[in-house]
Amino acid sequence: MKSISLGQYYPADSVIHRMDPRVKVICAVAYIVASFLCKNFFSFMLLLVSAIILVLISRIPLRIVLGSMKALIFIMAFTAVINIFWITDPGAEPLFSWWIIKVYTKGLYHALFILVRIVAMIIGTSIFLTYTTSPIALTDAIERLLYPLSLLHVPVHTFAMMMTIALRFIPTIVDETDKIMSAQKARGADFTTGSLSDRVKALIPVIVPLFASAFRRADELATAMECRCYHGGEGRTRLRVLKLHARDFVVLAVMAAFIAGVVLINICGARNGWLYTMTIA
Amino acid sequence: MKKRRKNVTETVADTTPVTYMNPVPEGEIPMLRLTHVNYRYSAGTPFEVKALDDINLNIRRGRITGLIGHTGCGKSTLVQLFNGLNRAESGTVELDGEDIWKEPKEIGKIRFRVGLVMQYPEYQLFEETVRADIGFGPKNMKLSPEEIEERVNEAAAFVGLTPDLMDRSPFDLSGGQKRRVAIAGIMAMRPQVLVLDEPAAGLDPQGRHSIFSGIRDYGRRTGCTVIIVSHSMEDMAQYCDDVVVMAHSKVLMAGGRDSVFIRADELEGVGLDIPLVTKLTILLREGGMKIDPGLYTVDAMEDALCEAFGLPLYCDSPDGGPEKGGGRA
Repeated sequence: MKSISLGQYYPADSVIHRMDPRVKVICAVAYIVASFLCKNFFSFMLLLVSAIILVLISRIPLRIVLGSMKALIFIMAFTAVINIFWITDPGAEPLFSWWIIKVYTKGLYHALFILVRIVAMIIGTSIFLTYTTSPIALTDAIERLLYPLSLLHVPVHTFAMMMTIALRFIPTIVDETDKIMSAQKARGADFTTGSLSDRVKALIPVIVPLFASAFRRADELATAMECRCYHGGEGRTRLRVLKLHARDFVVLAVMAAFIAGVVLINICGARNGWLYTMTIA
Repeated sequence: MKKRRKNVTETVADTTPVTYMNPVPEGEIPMLRLTHVNYRYSAGTPFEVKALDDINLNIRRGRITGLIGHTGCGKSTLVQLFNGLNRAESGTVELDGEDIWKEPKEIGKIRFRVGLVMQYPEYQLFEETVRADIGFGPKNMKLSPEEIEERVNEAAAFVGLTPDLMDRSPFDLSGGQKRRVAIAGIMAMRPQVLVLDEPAAGLDPQGRHSIFSGIRDYGRRTGCTVIIVSHSMEDMAQYCDDVVVMAHSKVLMAGGRDSVFIRADELEGVGLDIPLVTKLTILLREGGMKIDPGLYTVDAMEDALCEAFGLPLYCDSPDGGPEKGGGRA
């Protein structure tokens, strides 16, 4: 059950940990955009190097970062394999061919590119967001960043509060699920054997109490919030006021330089006809 | 859980004679016997916590054993080893003389023999009616509908659920009633050992009393071995035959309740509450009164005080009750 926690805050002391969460959200988005801007071998290498640097300066143990990728290893392998066999290069000799299967050099490079892109996206989001930012700080940042939308009467604060609560209760619900499963196992429930329909049925004794307790908790929480006079975002002040520091501006500048670098390499590549340029993005 | 299996057999081979704090009489096979049991949470990570440290323990058959200890001393971890919900990292758990993990695939059968009522069991109810919920365990045992019906009614009677409640939804009952339904759900499996983890937590004194006396009657009438986990010395003194005291992941004391409660100073030393009556005896003795130091039930105290002041013995029930008189060490 514990493996559910796909990304979890990992407390450490690093520049990234101390950054303003708003800047981190912007950086994470920018980083994903950058990974999609990459068009040729050299820009992808730059992306890979930047991902490694990110992991190093965040001081998150490599074991933990790799652990978060384990969940997505199937998707990564699948896309890579598809790319190897799917990409055709009419002008070139196939590297390997058997029956209708033809593998081209270009296909191998495409597979590599896709892998680097996925890895960079995972590292970018997990380093900037999940591992280095506590859920509370994250929702704070999102609320602040989406603030302009509230002028259009989008209930930004409500969404942020919902998100905070949802994040807060994930570990609680996981614990609860564990307990209920143990309790039903103690009554002879069997979750591991039998046909698919048997196993789905076996989950009913877990899901019903789980829902019952989720509703109970929601009710209690609502009462507790009302008791503390919670009435939505209006006029609410904050305990932690977000403030931009010099380091945040530096990071933003570095990020902008990084994106510019990627674009520059792309332009150079297109002009000089560098090999292995990605044709489909 | 799978990773921990490796060193199970090695440590058992350790043949240094085991000293159990509560030896059983010659020739008796204890209902449950734990030998060199160790358990850690999050083993191999920086968050590692030792939950059980070399536990050697006998649980004697047909008796009511109270398992007492502070929050976090390993009580709940220990009881989850009894029915194989968790497996010890090393050491053995024997049920009726046989290792429960001898056939790991058959562990489900052990869970029918050792019924475990977990903490706050009212949150595991899920069926549409009380009857169906109590029958969930027996149904998993693949019994006939008649047999299930019989067991459900029997179990409901033990915990004091009236027939009119049986066809209601368990979600409509009060907290105390839900708790009874959950306990009945385990009793209906007719386990050889009934383990209850804090069965009275969160109940008012009257609710506590009625749950505990229901459990005691069940134990006496069926001959089932009962283990009650609690941190209330008061309740344990009143309802248990044997007491096991845990502190800091170890068994501190184990044995008949007389032999445990007479060591009141040690109990206080590990921060456990001693029964109020025991406290009173200590105070009276300090004040110079000649009174038996091993008193722990109200009835026994009453008799002792009457004796000391030369009053006739006050008798509130004609037969004296089973706990009466036994409260003296």
